[in-house]
Parts: sequence; structure tokens; C-alpha cells
Amino acid sequence: MSLIRRDGGEIEALITDRYLDSLLAIQPSPSLLLGGGPLGSDPSLSAAVRAVSRRLATDLPRFHPSFRFEERLALRLAEVAASMRIPVAAGAEGSIVPCREGHPAAPDPLRAADDDDDRDTRPLLIGGAVAASALSLAGAWLAWRRRTSPMARAIRAAHSMRQTGGGA
Amino acid sequence: MARRALWRSGAAKDAVPRIAHLDRDRPLVEAAQRDPARFEALYRRYLARVYSYAYYELGDHHAAEDATEATFVSALTSLHRFEERARPSDGEGASTFRVWLFQIARNEVAGERRRARRRPVEPIGETDVVDSVDVESAAVRRDEARAAWQALGRLPGERRQAMVLRFVDELSTAEIAGVLGRSEGAVRVLIHRALKSVAKDMGVSKRSGDGHGSAS
Repeated sequence: MSLIRRDGGEIEALITDRYLDSLLAIQPSPSLLLGGGPLGSDPSLSAAVRAVSRRLATDLPRFHPSFRFEERLALRLAEVAASMRIPVAAGAEGSIVPCREGHPAAPDPLRAADDDDDRDTRPLLIGGAVAASALSLAGAWLAWRRRTSPMARAIRAAHSMRQTGGGA
Repeated sequence: MARRALWRSGAAKDAVPRIAHLDRDRPLVEAAQRDPARFEALYRRYLARVYSYAYYELGDHHAAEDATEATFVSALTSLHRFEERARPSDGEGASTFRVWLFQIARNEVAGERRRARRRPVEPIGETDVVDSVDVESAAVRRDEARAAWQALGRLPGERRQAMVLRFVDELSTAEIAGVLGRSEGAVRVLIHRALKSVAKDMGVSKRSGDGHGSAS
């Protein structure tokens, strides 16, 4: 008896799983089916399960962290990546290059290929204040633009003099 | 349809033939393994998903950020150890990298949860819905999202994790099985029971056809 009941539960779970596969595959949004639709016609699936599945697929947002956090973590990962490259580049001591990908002037084909997958119509909840993040980003950009140290300026000046033969 | 079974954990893992051309993330993973700087593409692809998983689990933006950061740093530094194990039956959309990444995220979230027990947690609520398509209904949507979120929050651990991975991160049952270290059948039953539980919690009637019963 319990075996039959267990099998029944597993079959029901399998039907639910297939329903969810269909529901979550709908683009742009399962909300189109909130008023009923072709997926709702499976009589073997509980109406309550069907209804709550649609509701969760529609109402549960995907959260996105603040842009400030996103860029800060990107920078940290770039630094970690740069430190990982040092042993590989034997003989290139001291030539660590900041690894920033996705520059508009040099589009990465791999990056372009994956972008489409990431665009969904799911509403995003942005953590933190968007305006504050924008201001912080602007500040970070300004700081980055002005970050040139006296040592870097001296090196650049010496380099340009050497190129133009000014030092001779 | 595009996402089917991935590798099994434990002893069965060794018996699974490795077919390396199926993982949807393969080009990005290989590029990042050759040059760690190219990990950024994977980071951008999965940031929101990993962060969402962490936020649904932890309920706190700062804790979710910590867990997300730890996840990606750990993934980057361990990427050379990652092995792809997708099979033909996994389909074109399969990603063993995604399963691996969420396994790391799950561990980091568990660690963060342990640390978070020692400090107070802010509830969800101070967030803004950003939906350029439908700005006017943002408030209604936020209320509905909060009701659904709260219903999920009342589920026990693995059921809640499975539901978040299924509905928010849109992982397949097979992928969730890989993340949780359970069989696909067990995950299916887990999700089915969770759905019944949430339906009861949210007051979704058995006769409901519109999916909008009276939310608690």
C-alpha cells in the first residue's frame, strides 16, 4: 500500500517537473499564462500546484546586487586573476597588466555570444540606492582618470623622450 | 527540454563518460582556464543568479554580497580543478560549470549563515523594483513578490533551496540534483511537496485557475 502511494507521489512529482520545464521555458514571461493557457490543460496535475507554479514563476524576482558592488568585485577578480598570471609569465617580472575585459573597442566574441542568454525580462531588484551607486561610479571613474602617480608620469615622460630621441 | 541529467556525485561519477563539447559554458570556461582574466565573462553571466540565490537564502544584502564575493573568488582560484562532465543526454543547454558554481555558492551561503547567526538580519523590504517594461505595476508586483518570497522563506532548508534554484535561477531538476547532492527523483519530490506547501501557505485554492489566490 505504501509502495503504491509512494509510486503515485513520484509520478505526480514527475508530471509537475515536466510542467515546470514547460512553464519556465516560456519567454518572455510565464505571466502571459496567468489567465490560463495551453499549459493549464493537463488534467492530471493539481490545479493548486499549477496555479502556485505560475505565480512563483512570475512573482519571484531575480535580485541583482548594486552596480557599485558588481564593479568592485569585478576589480577584485581582475586583481586575483592578475596575481594568478604571474607564475605563468615567467621572465616577465613586474609586468602585471590590469585585466579588464569587454572594452567597447575590443569586443570579445565569447562575451558577445553569451550576452543573449543573460537578457531576460524577469524584474530585477537592485540592492542599495541606484543613485548613490551612480554617483560612486562617477567618482570612481574620476579617481581612476586622475590616479596617475608622479612615478608613472616620470616613467611615461622618460619613455616618450627615449622614443623621440630627446634624451640623446 | 534542453537541460537534462548532469553528473552524479560519488562513485557513479567515475562511470560517467566525459563528453566535453556539450557544456554551454565550455568556451568561456576554457578561455578562463587559459587566461584567468577572462573569467569576467563567466562572472557577468552568473553574478545575478548567484547573488539571488544567496539573497533568498540569507535575506540580507550585505551577507549575500559577502557570499557572492567568496563564491566567485573561490571559483576563479579553483577553476583549474574544474572538470566538465556533461553527457549527450544532458542536451545543449547543460552546464556542469553552473552546477559546480552553485555548489560553491551553497557552501559559502552555509558558511555565511553560520556567521550571520551571530548578528542581526534585516528583512527584505528596502529594495526597489526595476522593470522598465511595466513601471506602473511595480508596487503591486513588489507586494506579490514579497508574499511569494515570504512563503518560500517558511519552507525547510533543502525544499527552499530547491525552489529558489528552480524558479529564480531556473536550473533544471538534474542540475539541482547536482548542486544538492541528491537524486533527480528526490529533487522532483522535494519540489512537488514544496509547491503543495507554498500553495497552502499562500492560500492558492485547488480550484484556482488564475494563480492569484489570497496571499497570506
